[in-house]
Amino acid sequence: MYSKLLQLVASALLVVVALSFQSAHAEPAPQQLVNALATGKLKQKPAQIEALAATKNPAIIPVLQALIEGELFYLKNDGQVVIAPQSGPMIDAATGKPLSGLNKSSLKKIKANNKVRRIARAAIAKLTLQSPVLAERQAAVEALFKAAKPESLSLLLEAQKNETDPQLQTRLAQAIALISLQDKAATAKAQQAAIAQLRSLGGQQALALLQAFTARDDIAPQEKEAATRAVEAIEKSMALWGIGQNVWYGLSLGSVLLLAAIGLAITFGVMGIINMAHGEMVMLGAYTTFVVQEVIRSSFPGVFEYSLAIALPLAFLVAGSVGFAMERGIIRFLYGRPLETLLATWGVSLVLQQAVRSIFGPTNKQVGNPEWMSGAYELGGLMLTANRLWILAFALLVFALLLVVLRRTRFGLQMRAVTQNRRMAASMGIRTPWVDAFTFALGSGIAGIAGVALSQIANVSPNLGQTYIIDSFMVVVFGGVGNLWGTLVGAMTLGVANKFLEPYAGAVLAKILTLVFIILFIQKRPRGLFAQKGRAVEA
Amino acid sequence: MSTMQENQPLLYLDGVSVSFDGFKAINNLSLVVDHGEMRAIIGPNGAGKTTMMDIITGKTRPDTGEVFFEGEKDLTQLDETQIANLGIGRKFQKPTVFEGHSVYDNLVLALKGDRGVFATLFSRFSAKDRERIEEILATIRLQSRAQTLAADLSHGQKQWLEIGMLLAQDPKLLLVDEPVAGMTDAETEETAKLLRRIAKTRSVVVVEHDMGFIRDLGVKVTCLAEGSVLAEGSLDHVSADERVILSYLGR
Amino acid sequence: MITAKLLSRFGLSASALIVALLAIAILFPLANLALPPENPLHVPSHLLPLLGKYLCYAMLALALDLVWGYCGILSLGHGAFFALGGYAMGMYLMRQIGPRGVYADPILPDFMVFLNWQELPWFWYGFDQFWFACLMVLLVPGALAFVFGWFAFRSRVTGVYLSIITQALTYALLLAFFRNDMGFGGNNGLTDFKEILGFSLQADSTRAALFAASAIMLALTFALCRAITLSKLGKVMQALTNAENRVRFIGYRVEHVKLFAFTLSAMIAGIAGALYVPQVGIINPGEFAPANSIEVVIWTAVGGRGTLLGPIFGALLVNGGKSYFTAAFPEVWLFALGALFIAVTLFLPKGIVGLVTQLQERFAARKAAAKRQKQTAPPAKPALNPEAAE
Repeated sequence: MYSKLLQLVASALLVVVALSFQSAHAEPAPQQLVNALATGKLKQKPAQIEALAATKNPAIIPVLQALIEGELFYLKNDGQVVIAPQSGPMIDAATGKPLSGLNKSSLKKIKANNKVRRIARAAIAKLTLQSPVLAERQAAVEALFKAAKPESLSLLLEAQKNETDPQLQTRLAQAIALISLQDKAATAKAQQAAIAQLRSLGGQQALALLQAFTARDDIAPQEKEAATRAVEAIEKSMALWGIGQNVWYGLSLGSVLLLAAIGLAITFGVMGIINMAHGEMVMLGAYTTFVVQEVIRSSFPGVFEYSLAIALPLAFLVAGSVGFAMERGIIRFLYGRPLETLLATWGVSLVLQQAVRSIFGPTNKQVGNPEWMSGAYELGGLMLTANRLWILAFALLVFALLLVVLRRTRFGLQMRAVTQNRRMAASMGIRTPWVDAFTFALGSGIAGIAGVALSQIANVSPNLGQTYIIDSFMVVVFGGVGNLWGTLVGAMTLGVANKFLEPYAGAVLAKILTLVFIILFIQKRPRGLFAQKGRAVEA
Repeated sequence: MSTMQENQPLLYLDGVSVSFDGFKAINNLSLVVDHGEMRAIIGPNGAGKTTMMDIITGKTRPDTGEVFFEGEKDLTQLDETQIANLGIGRKFQKPTVFEGHSVYDNLVLALKGDRGVFATLFSRFSAKDRERIEEILATIRLQSRAQTLAADLSHGQKQWLEIGMLLAQDPKLLLVDEPVAGMTDAETEETAKLLRRIAKTRSVVVVEHDMGFIRDLGVKVTCLAEGSVLAEGSLDHVSADERVILSYLGR
Repeated sequence: MITAKLLSRFGLSASALIVALLAIAILFPLANLALPPENPLHVPSHLLPLLGKYLCYAMLALALDLVWGYCGILSLGHGAFFALGGYAMGMYLMRQIGPRGVYADPILPDFMVFLNWQELPWFWYGFDQFWFACLMVLLVPGALAFVFGWFAFRSRVTGVYLSIITQALTYALLLAFFRNDMGFGGNNGLTDFKEILGFSLQADSTRAALFAASAIMLALTFALCRAITLSKLGKVMQALTNAENRVRFIGYRVEHVKLFAFTLSAMIAGIAGALYVPQVGIINPGEFAPANSIEVVIWTAVGGRGTLLGPIFGALLVNGGKSYFTAAFPEVWLFALGALFIAVTLFLPKGIVGLVTQLQERFAARKAAAKRQKQTAPPAKPALNPEAAE
């Protein structure tokens, strides 16, 4: 199912690329020069390619590409050059128009060796480097930058002369620096310039090159010194960015923890109910997303991008009503007996898990990411993936909404009244049993919408809830029971701490260390980070 | 040494303050209780009466101030168990007994003796212990209910059982928090008698709202308000004090 | 004479259980080894390890009851102590394999050879000795419980907080034991055992002996727990569930009492695990799963907590049911277990034993009422008679 989606996305991209290509370069490739490729020996191919490249016509790029890939043929009878991809229709190389009624047996392959391929590639690079379209030039420079091959130096130098875009200019200079530092023949001045350029560039690639450079013994001490300092500077900035990246990973993990725990902060934190089926509420939310996407795929494929928005209220309703039923059917009989509540809700969690397993099967379900959730942004040395970014934003939004509900709405007021003094609240006309039921439903519903978000990054399986339940309890207990801000700080602290431990201890050990830390922490502050003090608490 | 102890007051609080989240529950409180003295503590709600007991018994640590028992024992450095074993017994506001045990077993558990885990595990019940428990049962008038589950006692009987458990502990100082709350008049009268009898052999501090009961006790009264001592003296003296009247009525 | 002493010491039902356990310790192996398979009383060979496994579970439930039923400490991590005891025994059994492993290394167990380890890690030293392994079966769970409990009880972590951190404890151990570099066989755990004390684990006689050992050990640990709960310390423990503060204020060290019960309980759980491993032939990190520990709680709750007897029956009953269900209707088992959790907490808070006691009391009350009626009836007649005569 997922691969189908990928195919869909890929083909859509192809169409877009093809369209832009056609509109930008309507002029056909020079027929004669293209057809010349069919003639002559292998030795003559470089000259033919040079001649093609000299036309500066971008339409020859697919021809050269086909030559490299071994998909360029000519008709035995009239020598017309044809592109014959392994699958799909054949194309007239010069005009780009599809050809029909041709048999493979009437074609002969145009041979190429490594040298020819290299020259063809350089020609493509040169052509794209000189393309009037900025995006194409950028792509070409990036490709050369990544490869950093000495032979592309002259191309880059030429391109640098003509480039007008300032951003691309710097990128070109950086690429030239990358290459010229490897060049044994470069002058001291060029080396100095390259070192300065790489120092400002930073990153793993520049670092590796500079380190290799300092190890060379054919360089002057001055350059060596400059390169060493550049290495230090880059290492330092990379370490800083590394910390930043870790913080980001930590916040991202923290936001997941926050989502998983925030419903619990209501049911456990505010009402004092130990809901061991909390994880299953998250799971129900994730499965709701799955079902919504299935229905959309089979009946309304157009609205797939909105699937998550549709799933959110549904997940809230599904998990919320299960929570409501739980409170009315079981939990209300067990108020004041927290350990029994723990056991009964554990029973509910087993039943829910098995029910989902019976209906959907025990295997992982694939929940698709809408397009706006995929991709990544680069921010300096930071890599931020879109789905993590959205989830962080979403977690904070849910948190803020919950704060508003608790602080600013009538229901929130009643809820706080009931948890503080049940009898007084009842005598003031608040229907406490309903407040209990709806509060529990609210906590469960929030777990459900957490499930929608988690379905984007976690495996959707009947065990989904189990993976989060212990962590969620840890977050609430660590942050301080009955304190939403504590939950926020607790989730983020644990997330960041975990990610900072990981490089030293590995993922599993980091998790163990965090658990041990919390166990020790609870000994020290049994009521969490943001504990209330005073006599009322102990009574 | 012993003479020094005799000269020292039994309980000595000086300049004690404690606050919860900025709220000063006890504010520069000083109090002295002598050997063999019975003292009544009164004061409006929130005056800090129970918090004071919490401090003496080690449940709450004071922010500042000194709390000494028998002259040199610094109670601020000890926890509840250590303080209990020094000889300070405490009755809670809400009667707290072991409801799952019989009246008799409640007293057995409270009976003075080695409290160590293994000593308790291998402890043998002696004839002397039995005698002592019979005596206490008689004192608290629960002989006929010795084998009843504590959960099945009436509210007043639970209060008495709790006092009985304190007696079994054989403490030097008893802290009694609202012993007659929820009692009938007859029970209240009996309780006053009981406390007076106990006070013959040990010191007692009683916190109570019931003025009739305090009058019955006929002892020195300390009035607390907003965490400090407002007035001290006989009940008549204290209840004539302007500030006491103001703190009860004028808020 | 011994029975009389037993009776006076432990009471009727507890003495009956001890006698019954000792009896099956002798009779079941006899019925397996001595009777021919055609005999209707013959106990089949595959049944003994299964029943032995149940007895180990019963011992684990007994251990949990000592802390949950008597001290109010709901441990959701007792499976960890069970598993640690099991691993200690498993390490001994591993060393017993010697050069008979797949890689035929005289010292290193197969998984270490597979991981390219050159020498035995220090914590595997001594486990070639049975007595040392037995000592570790007690000491390792005991020490963990002691250290954990010392921290937890000293800072007065109680109720659900304690439950949650015990669950975190076993979860952390689960993660740790999954790691290969811990040196306990990682994911696969310890298995392929060959013999114990020189006797083949495949032999019927060894299995019978292990079964007998489980039954006797259950009887012994039960007697120990019973003795403790009947002592003054047992009364202090029960008092904790009513009014922990009062216990503290009459001068008992609450944390010491809890620590004693918790550590002892962990040791009993360790013994149960150690007897379990040779009978099922494997120990792996799955035993640390939090779900396992919670299942122990339900055995205890079904039988009736705070009775010592109940949890033993609960463990036998639930596990018998589990074996039946998972074979007959595998889909239904989790539904049944989940429903059991809910039903027991809602309708049977005192478990089966509690229900039986309640019924007994009601029966006794009715009998007493009937007796009273009989007693009051005859005087009523003479009272009526004069009137009738008139």
